[in-house]
Amino acid sequence: MAELDFERRLERLFGETPHMGDSVAFAERVERRLDRGWTARRWLIGAAGGAGGIIGASQLLMSNIFERVQSAEQSARVLGQGLSRVTPTTDMVSALSGGYGVWIAVGLAVITMGFAVSRVIEEI
Amino acid sequence: MSGANQSSFASLHDVELCSYAAAGERRAFGELVRRHGSAVRGLLRRMGAQAAEADDTAQDAFLAAFERIAEFRGEGTFAGWVKKIAARQYLRRLQRDRKLTAFAQEDVEEEADVSAGDADHRIDLDEALKVLSAAERVCVSMCYGAGLSHGEAAEALNLPLGTVKSHVKRGLEKLRARLAPGDGAKTGGAVLEGRRGNG
Repeated sequence: MAELDFERRLERLFGETPHMGDSVAFAERVERRLDRGWTARRWLIGAAGGAGGIIGASQLLMSNIFERVQSAEQSARVLGQGLSRVTPTTDMVSALSGGYGVWIAVGLAVITMGFAVSRVIEEI
Repeated sequence: MSGANQSSFASLHDVELCSYAAAGERRAFGELVRRHGSAVRGLLRRMGAQAAEADDTAQDAFLAAFERIAEFRGEGTFAGWVKKIAARQYLRRLQRDRKLTAFAQEDVEEEADVSAGDADHRIDLDEALKVLSAAERVCVSMCYGAGLSHGEAAEALNLPLGTVKSHVKRGLEKLRARLAPGDGAKTGGAVLEGRRGNG
């Protein structure tokens, strides 16, 4: 029993740490390091995003995206004409089967990508 | 969560501050550091760290705690949780500086007269800890200051459990001789392995 009392007393003594005069300055140093870490992280994410954007844009340009879009438009027109033969024509179908459809799809894809990237950054 | 400012943080409980910190509110975490910084630094000094070394390690420990704040469930105290992190950080530092190798030796020479206790004269813990060897000091501080079990301390120190128990036992005997010399006679100092011995 005596040794238990002594151990409790020891724990109590360990718990009684004198308050240090520079505790505020110490906390400020920790906060500054935290801020530095977050700033560095933001820069890192921004730089990674910028680099990714540049690489993505250059890849798009190198793969002749505009020619591909034009050929896709032509394909869509052909498909639309084929559809108009077998189904009643509506404004919506004709609008989507033209060049607009491709651009709407690209726009939706960009929005989806933006949403996904923002979620990933939030998680990080 | 973003509406709170520094003055309102001062009135919040640790668990609430942890919630704010987990949501990325760094000022809330700063309040926790203000409250418990002294305790963590004090523990590290008691483990044997120099003042500057203790401050650096405590800073690292708080930064690590902020990164892992979501793991803190409020089951124990925040101070206890950070103390454990800090104690482990200090051990890593000792390991990096290759100062832990001597801890593996179980037969440590007496560094001071352990029978120098005087019941009429209060000797504080910091003075009493100076009597212990480095290994005993670290082991006792980890178990009674940071709240680790013998098993957890052995794992953190990468030492056999028996070695840690020996260090703790010898450390407790020396501390008892300094802090409570009268009680030592009752038990003969033979059973002071510590109630954490099952860890």
